[in-house]
Amino acid sequence: MPYHEFKCSECIPERKKHAVVKGEGEDLTSCLPLGYLNTIPGTISERGCAFCGAKHVIGTPMKDVIHLCHGPVGCTYDTWQTKRYISDNDNFQFKYTFATDMKEKDIVFGAEKLLKKNIIDAFKTFPEIKRMSVYQTCASALIGDDIDAIAKEVMGEMPDVDIFVCNSPGFAGPSQSGGHHLINIAWVNQKVGTFEPKITSDYVMNYVGEYNIQGDQEVMVDYFKRMGIQVLSTFTGNGSYDELRGMHKAQLNVLECARSAEYICNELRVRYGTPRMDIDGFGFKPLSESLLKVGLFFGLEKEAQAIIDEEIARWKPEFDWYARRLKGVKVCLWPGGSKLWHWAHVIHDEMGVDVVSLYTKFGHQGDMEKGIARCADGALAIDDPNELEGIEAMKELKPDIILTGVRPGEVAKKMRVQYLNAHAYHNGPYKGFEGWVRFARDIYNAVYSPIHQLSGLDISKDEIDTDNRFMTRQMISDVKIDKEEAAISDEREYTGDYDCVTKLRGKKYPKLEKGDISVG
Amino acid sequence: MEDMMKDQVDQLVDYIMKWCLWQFNSRAWDRKDQNEGILTKTMQILCEEPTEHDTPADRCYWVEAVLLARDFKSTYPWISTMGNNEIKLLMNGLKERIDYLTISGSLNKELTNPTY
Repeated sequence: MPYHEFKCSECIPERKKHAVVKGEGEDLTSCLPLGYLNTIPGTISERGCAFCGAKHVIGTPMKDVIHLCHGPVGCTYDTWQTKRYISDNDNFQFKYTFATDMKEKDIVFGAEKLLKKNIIDAFKTFPEIKRMSVYQTCASALIGDDIDAIAKEVMGEMPDVDIFVCNSPGFAGPSQSGGHHLINIAWVNQKVGTFEPKITSDYVMNYVGEYNIQGDQEVMVDYFKRMGIQVLSTFTGNGSYDELRGMHKAQLNVLECARSAEYICNELRVRYGTPRMDIDGFGFKPLSESLLKVGLFFGLEKEAQAIIDEEIARWKPEFDWYARRLKGVKVCLWPGGSKLWHWAHVIHDEMGVDVVSLYTKFGHQGDMEKGIARCADGALAIDDPNELEGIEAMKELKPDIILTGVRPGEVAKKMRVQYLNAHAYHNGPYKGFEGWVRFARDIYNAVYSPIHQLSGLDISKDEIDTDNRFMTRQMISDVKIDKEEAAISDEREYTGDYDCVTKLRGKKYPKLEKGDISVG
Repeated sequence: MEDMMKDQVDQLVDYIMKWCLWQFNSRAWDRKDQNEGILTKTMQILCEEPTEHDTPADRCYWVEAVLLARDFKSTYPWISTMGNNEIKLLMNGLKERIDYLTISGSLNKELTNPTY
C-alpha cells in the first residue's frame, strides 16, 4: 500500500493509513486510504459535526420552512450561512436563523416547555410559513428532551402546521456525514408519502443531492424543464417542504451528490421501486452525458441533445479562452466530499490543469474510490487532513491554487497560495454549461491575479521595478500561450451576466403546460 | 492474443473508472447488481442483440449501457471491427475485472455493511 506519512503527523502514527500516493500501476485494490472514522485525538480536524451536517447542509436549504435549532444559540449562529444555498422565495431560509437559546437552567430543569414556546412564537412571528424543522443538538440530546412529543403536541394545537424533527446531535457520527445520513432516513421515515403532489407532466423526477449553491439547482432544473420534465422536488436546495413529502410520486431519482443523499435514493428504491441515476453536473462532457441519460430514460433524447447543442455552441468558445490559459496550472482539489470525484478528472481533461492532490474532509472510502479512480497518477490523496498536513502538502507540492473551503482556504492564502471556495463558490453557479465557464474564469482570475503576484514582493528587501509595475491578468497569463493560435480562433472571455440565475425564475416552459396528469 | 485482450480490457476499465459512477454504489450487493445489469446490456447493445428495459430498474441499466456502448465505440474504434463472439469474450473479461476492482478486491470496508 503506497501510504504517505506526513512528517508533522509522525507523532500520530494512526494517520499514516489516511493518506496514499496513487503511483503508476496502482489501482483501487492496492491504493485506498481509510475513511469515515472518528478523528484521532491530537489531530485538529477540519470536519464539521453531525448536527451541522444535518441542519446546515441538508435541512436548511429547504426554502419555505422555519429551521429551529433546539440548543444553545452558538450551535445555530456559528454554522449559519456557511453555504450560499439561495432560493427563489427571497431567501427566507437563509436570511433568518432560529434557536431556542438553551441556557444552564434549561439543562438542569429541562427545555421542553422552552421548545414549545419557541415553536409557537416562531409560527406567530412568520404567519405565512406553516412548515418547520426542529433540530436536536448535543445539549438537548444529552438531557433527553422529547422533541417528537412536543412537535406532535403543537401540531395537535395548530392543525395547519407541519413539523419535521431531526434527531442528529453533534456527536452522532464521526463528521457532518453522520448527520447527512440521519436526516435522509428521518425525512423518508417521517415525511415521504404524507402529501400528494400535483403532477403536470408525463415525465416526473426528483433531483436529489443538490443544494442550489449560488443557483446550481435553478440552472439544472431549467434544463430538465426545457426537456419537458417535471422536477417534482429537489432534495433539498431551493426545495419545498411539501414537494419533498411527495417524493414517492416521481418515476426517477436523479442523484448529484451521492455522499450526502444516496441514502434517501436507496430507501426510495427499496420502498417505492423508484430507480436511482447518478449524474455529474460539472463539465461539458459529463453534463452532456448526464442530460442524455435523463433524456433517454424518459424517451426525450432529442430534446436533451437540442439543449446540449445550443448550450455548447453558446459557451464553449468562452470556456476555451480560459482553458488555453489554464493548461498546466497545479491544483490541490481539497473539497468536503463529492466534488472530489465530480472534478478530479474533468478539470484536468477539459481545463488542462493538473490535480496534484485530492482530499476529503468527511467523505467515505467510496468517495475516495471514485476520486482516486479518476485522478491522474502521482496525486496525493488524503482523508480527514489536519491543518499541519495541509501546510506540509502545500510546501511539498507547490500548487498554484487550492479548491477548498473557507477555513483551509484562509490558511492557504497566508502561504501565498491562491484559493477558490469549492463549497460556497466565489462567483457561481458553477453547474451547467455557463457555470463551467464561470468556474474556469474564477480559477483564471485567482491564479493570474496581479495583486497575488505583487504580494510576493517584500518592499523591505526586494528591489522593486517602479517603471514596469502595471500588470493585468492577461499580461501575466498570455506569456505562455501561442498568440497566433489564440488570435485566429473565436475564443473570448466570459460575456454572461453578473447574475445568471434570477432571470430563470418565472420563465415559461411550453412543454410543461399540459395541466394535471395522473401517473402511477 | 491474451496480452492484447488484457490491454483492451484495461482500456475499457480505465474509461469506466474515469467517466462512470454506477460501479461505485455503496454496498457490495448493489455493485454486483449494477455491474451485472449494465455490463450485460452493454454487451447486448454492442452485439446488436435485443435488451430488456421495461421495468424502471432495467431502464436505468439500459440508459447507462446505451451511453457506455456509444462511448466505447467512439473512443475505441477497434471494438467495431470485432465479431460478436470476440465482443462477448471481451465484455466477460471486462465484467470480471470491474467486479474484482469494485467488489472482491475492494479495500472499502463499508461494502459489507448490512444496512444503508
